Amino acid sequence: MKDFELTRQSETVNELLARYGVKFGIYKNNEFREQLFPFDTIPRVIGKEEFSFLEKGLKQRVTALNCFIRDIYGEKKIIKDKVVPEEFVYISSGYLAACDGVVPPKGIYTHIAGIDLVQGKNKEWYILEDNLRVPSGASYPMIAREICRRSSPDTFESNHIEDNRDYTKMLRAMMDYSNTGGHTVILTPGRYNAAYFEHSYFAEKTGAHLATGSELTVEDDYLYFIDYSGRKEKVGAVYRRISDEYLDPMTFNEESVIGIPNIFDVYRKGHVALINAPGNGVADDKGIYFFVPKMIQYYLGENAILQNAPTYLPFYEEDMKYVLEHFDELVLKDVAEAGGYGVVFANKMTAREKEDFIKLLKKEPRRFIAQEVIDFMDIDILEDGIRKPRKADLRAFVLMADEPMVWKSGLTRFSRNPDSFIVNSSQGGGFKDTWVLSQ
Amino acid sequence: MKNLRFHYHMEILFSQPVHSHTYTLKCLPITTDTQQIKACEYRIYPAGKVQESYDSFGNRMLYGTEKGEHTRFQVDVTGQAVTGICGMERQKEKTDISIYKYQTPLTRPQEQIGQLFLNCRRQADFAGMSLEEKVRFYMETVQRHLTYDKGSTSIDTTAEEALALGRGVCQDYAHVMLSLCREDRIPARYVVGMLMGEGESHAWVEIFDGAEWRGYDPTNNLVVGDSHIKISHGRDYSDCSINRGVFTGPAKQSQSIWAEVSEI
Amino acid sequence: MGIISVENSDRLFWLGRYSERVYTSARLFADSFDKMIDMDVENYAVFCTQLDIPNIYHSREDFCQRYINDGDDPNSIYSNLMRAYDNAIVLRNEIGSEPIAYIQLCVYDMNRNRTASAPIVGLQKIIDNLLAFWGIVDDMIENENIRNIIKTGKRIERLDLYGRLQAERDSINREISRLSGRITKTNLHYDESKLCKLRELAGQESIDYDEVVELADTLLQD
Repeated sequence: MKDFELTRQSETVNELLARYGVKFGIYKNNEFREQLFPFDTIPRVIGKEEFSFLEKGLKQRVTALNCFIRDIYGEKKIIKDKVVPEEFVYISSGYLAACDGVVPPKGIYTHIAGIDLVQGKNKEWYILEDNLRVPSGASYPMIAREICRRSSPDTFESNHIEDNRDYTKMLRAMMDYSNTGGHTVILTPGRYNAAYFEHSYFAEKTGAHLATGSELTVEDDYLYFIDYSGRKEKVGAVYRRISDEYLDPMTFNEESVIGIPNIFDVYRKGHVALINAPGNGVADDKGIYFFVPKMIQYYLGENAILQNAPTYLPFYEEDMKYVLEHFDELVLKDVAEAGGYGVVFANKMTAREKEDFIKLLKKEPRRFIAQEVIDFMDIDILEDGIRKPRKADLRAFVLMADEPMVWKSGLTRFSRNPDSFIVNSSQGGGFKDTWVLSQ
Repeated sequence: MKNLRFHYHMEILFSQPVHSHTYTLKCLPITTDTQQIKACEYRIYPAGKVQESYDSFGNRMLYGTEKGEHTRFQVDVTGQAVTGICGMERQKEKTDISIYKYQTPLTRPQEQIGQLFLNCRRQADFAGMSLEEKVRFYMETVQRHLTYDKGSTSIDTTAEEALALGRGVCQDYAHVMLSLCREDRIPARYVVGMLMGEGESHAWVEIFDGAEWRGYDPTNNLVVGDSHIKISHGRDYSDCSINRGVFTGPAKQSQSIWAEVSEI
Repeated sequence: MGIISVENSDRLFWLGRYSERVYTSARLFADSFDKMIDMDVENYAVFCTQLDIPNIYHSREDFCQRYINDGDDPNSIYSNLMRAYDNAIVLRNEIGSEPIAYIQLCVYDMNRNRTASAPIVGLQKIIDNLLAFWGIVDDMIENENIRNIIKTGKRIERLDLYGRLQAERDSINREISRLSGRITKTNLHYDESKLCKLRELAGQESIDYDEVVELADTLLQD
């Protein structure tokens, strides 16, 4: 890859990112700290054709996921037809019985999907994970692009790159599409949330109102925002950045103080859109992931364009046999964990750990999936001015209005540790811009 | 068949005034195949606007918010019911019974229940039992292993904890029985209601026999007949709590409940 | 979307107060520091009395270090700046990223200034950024109501500080008239009679400073 002028501006770029407070919050020893999200100026570059292939595959995947969720909380055909075993649905922590029979505005459950992909050394893309609950991260490449363009205009003059700063326009259009009539609000748990920067940034850029639960209230089966002079304003769409269980203490976790009492009842009556729809976590469960290609076939009658990483479900006897025979070659994931936790590489376990793990696996086969370790294609990062190869993934964002829309960019996260495959920001990684070429 | 008159009463006293009090109540019995509810009325204090809806299990809900300060919250439900119309409740087509097959955080077995379940299976004649016989056997097992003891458990007590303790109230009896049935892949659900002579709200279970739901009362070791009035059902206690509420104010609360069911 | 919650109107007000407190106390410190160099080494005691803050400092060096940088000293410039920052960071939606960036820059400058032997130079950067902040508030915030609430905070804080410092009558008069011009444009709940009283006080020959401070601090109602 040729050297971009941009890569010589690393310091300027990171200074500007700091100026705008591009941060995420973390808890260390029970203390909240804000940390800058390290940015690496060498972009991930995706060619026009390659991206249009990804785009097709992503639209297909998210369309099928949306069909699946609608089915699960409606007719349950896919269970009756025995394509997905019911225990994978009903034991999943993302499945919410309270959502059964509740139809969201416009039938949309997956308003914002963050699909994690990796590219193997063979250049093939693999889906690693679907994030449907409250996927975050789009703000970072968006603001990084803004700053990179300021710092190195030449780079952007000579390369033909799709502008990614339209994300918030797409977001706004998507929210307006689902809105049932009234204002649009971004609901945040507050500034001590890891992604608070993003919540406030999206609110600013979309013109939606940023609110915490205590600023919203339910009256007569509608949701209202109350301003400081006591004026009531009806709310028609809530892009909520708090998880299902905390959304409404009257339906979910009764202890929640960040939610809005009875908001779920307003939603049930179709008087507000919740973005994303509650209960959609049933489709991003690591166990359900295995079935996504089958869903695509089932609902759309098509073959999956984008492939899963080769995955085994110890729940099935033959898969368990394979997993035990090839244990050392696999990565094992606890389906209940997120954010890079609960992921173990079998070849890194001690003999004792292996023994204990296999015992647990046999006892609770439903709890784990096993995957072949994909040989990632490394991407260079700059460390003290020297290029070094590191593992990186790509989170693509798909927004759903009347049609799915794929954002022509994405969040590329890399691991700063040369031996690590785990790229989550909560585990000390950094991020890159993702360029999609327009020619 | 019985003609019953019922009165359910719940009162919460706050040690200091509270405000912005939002509540959701699942306290209204509904007409089913087994019971017909006639003339059901409710009164909520402080009186304000109340919304009605149904949850995903089909239970009737009342909810609202009292903004002003108050030190008392009271609910009274009165009405008449014809019970024991038939022994079973048909399963309406739309809803799926599968969710009642799986354990929940409150019913999930650990060592104690796991062992109890194994012991049940080892029973000499277990293999030859019909579904109904098995369920009765589980009910009797629960009876043998729990002693009724008010105050020994709380609303958060799991089936496993109750069994380890060997004590509990109707909620715990129901949870342990649900846990055993579900280990056996028998769809089973938690029921809240009222019982003649009980004095408070009551809980029992319903078992799905492939076509219909039948009620079993493990606390009293009997098949549910015309002395029970059903209010709601769900996977466990948390789906059916009669009252949920959040309010603002540093008050301590004390709750009192009574239920009166008598023949007309 | 033009609607402001109770919480955020409160934060806007305090953002105004704390950023003004940092600005004015940084400037006052600069005056006092100058005296402490070679004229009156213990001038910090006077400074504390004037600002009505407890003199918990052991020496000039201790004062210069802690009054500027100590996060555990609730009256330090640092503590007040962090309060301004805590309010600003949750107001991105109301005031925008650009104004927030200047408060953010103040925080960076403050942290860089920790070990400096010539604190005034570092404080100057903070003063510059605060002036830029006020400039951009005027320039970029379209919602008049938001501007007016922040500035009401700023005006009340300044009147409070000037009252404590027993500033000259002209200064006090000017601040009272700026405050009353501003607060009447907001929908904030304030005590009309107290505002009248302030205007009255401004007209009198000798100003009752204690009352000015008292009225300024209690002008807004809950």
